[in-house]
Amino acid sequence: MTAFRPTTMLTILLWLVLEVVAAWQVRTPDGAPLLATWIRSMAQPVIWSAHEIGHLIVDVGLGTTDLQRVVADNRSLRLDVERLSSRNLLLEEDLAALRDAAGLTSNNIGFSNGAVLARCTFRDVAAGSMEVRTASRVNLPRDTPAITGGGLVGRVVRSEGSRHWLQLITHGAAAAAVQTPDGAVQGLVVGTGGETLTVAYVPRQAMLEKGQVLVTSGGDGIFPPGIAAATVVHVRETESPFLEIGAVPTADIRSTRIVVLLPLWSAAGDGETE
Amino acid sequence: MQLKIVLPVVLTLLAQRMLGLPGMPSWTAEVLLPVVWIVAAALLQKERGWPYHALVLGLAWDVLFEPVIGPGGIAWSAACLVLYALAGFVADRSPKMWAGFGAVGAAIVTLVHSAALIPLGLPFSLTLGHWVRMVIFTGLWCGLVGATLRLDLPSQWRTYRSRKLR
Repeated sequence: MTAFRPTTMLTILLWLVLEVVAAWQVRTPDGAPLLATWIRSMAQPVIWSAHEIGHLIVDVGLGTTDLQRVVADNRSLRLDVERLSSRNLLLEEDLAALRDAAGLTSNNIGFSNGAVLARCTFRDVAAGSMEVRTASRVNLPRDTPAITGGGLVGRVVRSEGSRHWLQLITHGAAAAAVQTPDGAVQGLVVGTGGETLTVAYVPRQAMLEKGQVLVTSGGDGIFPPGIAAATVVHVRETESPFLEIGAVPTADIRSTRIVVLLPLWSAAGDGETE
Repeated sequence: MQLKIVLPVVLTLLAQRMLGLPGMPSWTAEVLLPVVWIVAAALLQKERGWPYHALVLGLAWDVLFEPVIGPGGIAWSAACLVLYALAGFVADRSPKMWAGFGAVGAAIVTLVHSAALIPLGLPFSLTLGHWVRMVIFTGLWCGLVGATLRLDLPSQWRTYRSRKLR
């Protein structure tokens, strides 16, 4: 293939110039030079391309802006969803608390004069402790009983303003005097430090069955009588004069949200509301 | 040297215009008289550069015979370039070769000129018969010039004069 010589290029260039000169002389029907029509025709694709590219750039810019807006909206929607989820969890918690409170209506003692409603804010079943909060600052005396709709929860061991700490009946050092509802069998419910209880000092000849509910007898002077405290889960005879009885709290300590505090049943006998 | 041939070229162009005057036979306008100049440049010149003279000849043709100036320069320079290329392959310089070159030159001038008018949107009336006649008549004209040059009339005149003086 021969190289494209400069002479050939010069020839073609000259011929193009002559053609352009001729086009400048020829007039179109509207009186304009034909050369202007050529220039317009050659420029038209460039102008169109520039126009379309400009539109494309604008559209890309708008699209980018819209995308950023969509991303921002998406982010805010995610935050809203998380916020609503949190609120939903809180509402579910409130609903469950309302159900618990509704369950307390079946317990006349729960709504006696001086009873204080408190909301559980922290619990450590293994340690046998629970923190509750009242709506207002209340000075609760030590050993104030705490109950739920399910039964006995424990007693107040510390009170500061609206925050109060309970010792659960499952605490290793907790104990409550209990009896069968008919009063035939009496014993002492003792915490084991876990989730179960032990019923002590029940004579061997006592008639107790699995599933039997034990209520407080009031003999300890701390808890009012008649509150469901424990459910017997097993009974075993031993060589000692007492039965070996295992039980579980009747109250659902793990999921309890509302407790009723009975300051009037404490040994001090007066609950003051600030 | 080049200035010496300007006058004959101008006379050729004027003669071409006269061939197209009303009253002249219609076939006379089909003889392209200036083609002989590009044939002569191809056959007689030892060194052939770019044919600027053909370009000027074509522009002069446009001034005298065409509505626009430009396509003539393209056509005549293209024809001259082709004749230059053919002259490199042909050693014969007889009147027959002059006629052949004249025919080729006329064919290329008319075809390229018509092609150059197409982008301009100008009409051209080049029929096959008109084109063939133009090629033949121009070839004959160039062959006549070649034969006349072959006769070398100035040398014969000098010979005749010297014989007469004796």
